[in-house]
Amino acid sequence: MVWDWKSGEPSAAPYIEKAKADFARKHPDVAVEFVAQPFDQYYTLLGAAIQSGKGPDVMLFNGGGQIRDRVDALVPLDEYVAEDKERLAGWDAFTRDGKIYAGPVTLQGHPIYYNKTLYEKAGLDPASPATTWEKFLADCAAIVKAGAKCFALGNKEGAGIQFWLSALGSGILTAQEYDDWIAGKRDWSSPAVKRVFQLWKEAGDAGLNNDGANSTAMFNDAFALFQSGKAAHVIGLMSDVGHWKDFNEFLTADKLGVMSAPVVTAGTTPSLPYDGGIGYAVAKWTKDPKVAADLVRSLTSTDALKAFYADAGAIAADTTVDVSAGGPAVATIVAEIKGGKPALHVALSSKTLDLMGRLSQQLLSGSATVDEVVKQLAASDQAG
Amino acid sequence: MPMGNAQPSVRPAQAGRTDGAVASGAARRGGRSRRAGGGSRTERLAPYVLVAPAILIIVLLRLYPLLLGVNFSFTGDGARNGTPVGLDNYLELVDDPLFRTALGNVGLLVLLLPVAVAIPGLLATFIYLRVPGHRVYRSVYFFPAVLSPVIVGAIFNLLLAFDGPLNAALGSVGIGSVDWLGNPDIAMFVVVGVHIWATFGMALVVFLAGFATLDSALLDAARVDGASLFQVIRHVIVPGLSRTIAFVFVTTMVGMLTSMFGLLYVMTSGGPEGSTYLPEYYIWIQQGQMNRPALASAASTALFVIMLVVGLLQVQLLRRAGRED
Repeated sequence: MVWDWKSGEPSAAPYIEKAKADFARKHPDVAVEFVAQPFDQYYTLLGAAIQSGKGPDVMLFNGGGQIRDRVDALVPLDEYVAEDKERLAGWDAFTRDGKIYAGPVTLQGHPIYYNKTLYEKAGLDPASPATTWEKFLADCAAIVKAGAKCFALGNKEGAGIQFWLSALGSGILTAQEYDDWIAGKRDWSSPAVKRVFQLWKEAGDAGLNNDGANSTAMFNDAFALFQSGKAAHVIGLMSDVGHWKDFNEFLTADKLGVMSAPVVTAGTTPSLPYDGGIGYAVAKWTKDPKVAADLVRSLTSTDALKAFYADAGAIAADTTVDVSAGGPAVATIVAEIKGGKPALHVALSSKTLDLMGRLSQQLLSGSATVDEVVKQLAASDQAG
Repeated sequence: MPMGNAQPSVRPAQAGRTDGAVASGAARRGGRSRRAGGGSRTERLAPYVLVAPAILIIVLLRLYPLLLGVNFSFTGDGARNGTPVGLDNYLELVDDPLFRTALGNVGLLVLLLPVAVAIPGLLATFIYLRVPGHRVYRSVYFFPAVLSPVIVGAIFNLLLAFDGPLNAALGSVGIGSVDWLGNPDIAMFVVVGVHIWATFGMALVVFLAGFATLDSALLDAARVDGASLFQVIRHVIVPGLSRTIAFVFVTTMVGMLTSMFGLLYVMTSGGPEGSTYLPEYYIWIQQGQMNRPALASAASTALFVIMLVVGLLQVQLLRRAGRED
């Protein structure tokens, strides 16, 4: 039995079909049942299953904290997926202590999308977005003058700061700091980390964001602001929602651009932040881990992932899928995957992320200072 | 549950005035003592056999899981899964500012309770006093009570959005926009206000039922004596409805403590800045998002104790109101 929150969606049907067919070729005698759970309650239900030691054999996970917090209930897949390691990207998000616990299906990352129509209206060149922070602020001023907001920001759930940290981090932290952060050596008191939160606050104070960011839901009110042309930039996603395919529908593929993070700290090289987005893992209580792992491999086969990319609008983990039909934005994203790095916020625990969400709201409302924020985050990060 | 116990104590209030109810109560009591007095062994055992299924269900499906939950709250999470950790979870709760906010918000709800009771009480009074259009109001006021919290929350999310209609209306009369759900100082009041809007219809109906038992001769007498509206409310209506008021207090409190989750989830997600957390929401986050089931159990136990104390106080209140009448 497989648990996920995807298989119930019509757009994911061809993907599930392909994966099932692939698995049936290898194990014709094993019946597979997909049970789609509501995503709202997915981890609550999964928690109950883990607690009782009974449940699905294969289950879908979000990369990062959600799977790392639960590896006790999973089988390491290293020996089964060795052949796929080159073909697929995004393993890191499903790895803990050097062991792989899930096969990546999609990649999730945080490109900065921009609206070329608004750039033209503001008298800017849509073909060359800003590469430095000063230039970016100047562009924003022009955009605000032309009657739009610079950023569509939704921070009601505290997701805004996570996207901010990851999307702009590579232009603020040095390569060394960035790698240390991912490796778990996070220096919260370093000037670069403080700068991330400083800029967050400054952007809010300067009125670059839409009004009422703290009461605007990222999903999907902030994306709706961007789609309707009320804001020129949004830090979006690569897969599932709030991504190139959604934006293409409203802004048209030609008018949607993807830019690299503006350089804040001189000498940094901006990179695309991405991780394995969702992936299938095998439960410890399954009877035959080999068969279950084969199902995971079917679910990450090139054919299946190609269907997922085309129909559900996701950047598939398989780097061999051809995306040229999706428009310039998606082409830019895929081109940057090779040079991309894991997203900064994915390295944090759910508890620290939750705290960061609340603190970021305080920064926007002015009830906390950057120093207090990094201090509290450091304490939470070290404890967890 | 307080609600189940509370219901009958209102009904006799209306019957209490007639002699019939008193007589039938006495008859019931008489019947019981007669049966207990002279009966064979089977007759003595019969009541125990008859209540056994109910007691078994309560013990097996209510009390036993409750004890399991309490026991679970003394174990650890994650790496310490299953090992006894003593009071660690409770200490962590006390240390967690978020849980303290949640408890503080429970206190806030208790403070706002009189408002939540006064609104349906006043509106019911106006309907009872037949203000023009009272029939329309009676159905209109009840209407929100049939909507699910999720729908109510979604409606108010749209209305209260920063660029929403309410702020547009305020802007058109020259008042600046308010970030209703984004300002930590007002968000909780907004959510409670919406909750009251969505649920006061039920209390209104209870009040109207209470008014039906009010002796209209008293009202007429007060009017003849030249009492003002305020004096009528103060000296005739409130004393006459004391038991109804107590009942509405209890049910409104229970409603506020147990059924705000849907609204919170849809309207604020506990934010902004964690200012609208309630214990229920905290429990859900810890169990579902943070993967801390044992900590969530500890929070549940704490909530249970609070509810127990509040419930017992309310039963006390109901009893006292019953005696006064």
